[in-house]
Amino acid sequence: MTTVNYKIREATEQDLDAIMLLENSCFGNDAWDADTMHFEVVAHHTYYLAAFEGTTEEGQLVGFAGLSKIPGNDQADIQTIAVSEAARGKGIGKALMLDLLKEARRLHAAELFLEVRADNPAAQNLYLNLGFEHIDTRKRYYQPDDVDAWVMRLQFSKTSIGREPIVLGIETSCDETGIGIVRGNTLLANIISSSMDEHARFGGVVPEIAARAHLEALKPTLHQALAKANLSLKDIDAIAVTNGPGLGGALMVGIGAAKALSVAIEKPIYAVNHLVGHVGVDILERGELETPTVALLVSGGHTSLLLVRDLINDVELLGETIDDAAGEAFDKVARVLRLKYPGGPEIDKAAVGGDPKAIRFPRGLSLPKDMEKHRYDFSFSGLKTAVARWVEVAETKDEPFNVADVAASFREAVADVLVTKAVNACLDHKVPRLLLGGGVVANARLRELAQERCEAHGIELRIPALSLCTDNGAMIAALGAQLIMAGRAPSSLHFGVDSTLPVTTVQTH
Amino acid sequence: MPNYTLCIDTSAGTTVAVLQGGEIRSEIHFDENMKHAERIGDAIAQAVAAADIAPGRITNVVVGRGPAPFTGLRIGIAAAVMYAEGVGAKLWGVTSLDAIARAAFDAREAAGANGAADLPLLVTADARRSEVYWALYSGLSKSGAPIMIEGPGVAKPAALEELLADKKFDRTDIKINAADLGKVFEAQLLDGSASQNVTALYLREADAVAPKDLREFGKRVSG
Repeated sequence: MTTVNYKIREATEQDLDAIMLLENSCFGNDAWDADTMHFEVVAHHTYYLAAFEGTTEEGQLVGFAGLSKIPGNDQADIQTIAVSEAARGKGIGKALMLDLLKEARRLHAAELFLEVRADNPAAQNLYLNLGFEHIDTRKRYYQPDDVDAWVMRLQFSKTSIGREPIVLGIETSCDETGIGIVRGNTLLANIISSSMDEHARFGGVVPEIAARAHLEALKPTLHQALAKANLSLKDIDAIAVTNGPGLGGALMVGIGAAKALSVAIEKPIYAVNHLVGHVGVDILERGELETPTVALLVSGGHTSLLLVRDLINDVELLGETIDDAAGEAFDKVARVLRLKYPGGPEIDKAAVGGDPKAIRFPRGLSLPKDMEKHRYDFSFSGLKTAVARWVEVAETKDEPFNVADVAASFREAVADVLVTKAVNACLDHKVPRLLLGGGVVANARLRELAQERCEAHGIELRIPALSLCTDNGAMIAALGAQLIMAGRAPSSLHFGVDSTLPVTTVQTH
Repeated sequence: MPNYTLCIDTSAGTTVAVLQGGEIRSEIHFDENMKHAERIGDAIAQAVAAADIAPGRITNVVVGRGPAPFTGLRIGIAAAVMYAEGVGAKLWGVTSLDAIARAAFDAREAAGANGAADLPLLVTADARRSEVYWALYSGLSKSGAPIMIEGPGVAKPAALEELLADKKFDRTDIKINAADLGKVFEAQLLDGSASQNVTALYLREADAVAPKDLREFGKRVSG
């Protein structure tokens, strides 16, 4: 994992000397002269960034980059980008590019152009990954080296010229059939049909039962979503669907449905990542996602800690559970305490009046030796077993015990370890924001503890509405809309399910 | 305006066809018994394109309801449901084994009627776990719809032999083709027996055992 040890700000006239030093060392014969650079940095139609070593104190200049966008012209250009040789491979170039992309979008550019040396595959790949395409080659553009230039273009809002796209999102990764509709950043409908009750007698989600329920729920859920949004399928500009991570058989129902709908209404399809969808949901409440942000996603299927520098370009998995998901631990401990499924709300109820300090249950992966390897990972299997053993011992001794104390102490252990690691991630990466997502966010103690600790550390805490925290189609639609507005090409019709899709794959092509 | 019928079946491989008034306009087959999720979009898009019509021209969607292994079967039904919604077409369900029966009876007739012509026909399909889905047919209706006299069921091959031991019947190893599914539907429409029920014919319960004591962690029932 690379640690972020640089800082980016807008460049000023005062940075010119340092910029020229780097310019000359990077471009040699090709370098601009000082007058040109001066004009570029101070001009009104340009936006120049400078990257410096260090996070608190400003160290040496290690990179710079510039954008040009003339008012009234909807094309913008990446003028230049340079990173000092010693500082390459740390993501500084990407970070500079992401900032310029954001600015180009803010200025309503329709297209963004750049030129790159034909013999620089590392840079080409960076641009391709950001959504640029190679549209032309200028022969022998770079002299005296006699090297061709690739002309690359990024098209913003390719499929929704002149207005925000209306996107229908389909989510079937676990036990909720979610169909949501958004217009750009605006939520129009979010209908969820859950098969939770059918799983209750098994004490956990049964994949086959979930998949059967999705098939039954598709049509009524679609009808409700369209009715709520007051739209017909003719109004839909694109379809987004979850293709992972999640339960394979369940995901396939959504994929089959989404692909057929895409062919039927002749609209593009976007295959998107479920976990990144959870992060993107904040856009629907606030109109944008402030980045960077740390995101803690906790549900019956996932316990993941993400560092999101850019929703569609730069999501990093910091850690995740190495055994049970937190929600699963709630379900299992509920069974131990003879409470109903799902365990989260039942344990919340049982914990009322209990002493969270009555029993000190273990905090998984929190010992110093574990923190070295698993600083941001979670483990709830040992905790679950500890509770089961504690109850077993108490029962064997025939001693009456206070269920409220056990429930409160268990809940405290889960909330403590989740919040401690999430806050650590914010502090370590100097990210002043934490976003919560997933069904376990419904847990009262988790919210309370997150609020307390975030306040103490000056971290802004975002908890979306519960209907957007649990699995839903609106978050999938929202992520699809972001991809479209960033000019991303649609997915093909051949993508499949990936039950363990990594968070770095925001869209599957 | 001619009526176009889109036929989808994912009970074995992924097979899609477009029919118009009893005539096959296009058919696309992917034989693998897996990868239905990957193939279904292309199969439908290609079948519609090969029929040389706009997707919105489809007026009926017919889907094979199985019986079949669950995961693949559902993908075809989900796709059919949504395609019908997308273009405002009517949605119909046909037992997948009927399509095989229809093809087998057609082949029998084409080969010229002989002694075998009167025998019932046993249609089987792989149900995995060393079992088969089966149904027994007496023949075709006047319009050409297969008449099922026993089944559909799921059984070990040995148990099925035992069950049918005192019966004489013919067998077939024809593979399912969505075009045959469409022919069955058109015949059923004439007979007035076409069904809008598209519920999957699973024939087996979901594989889950409710733990006797929910406090045991031994049985992993969560995903």
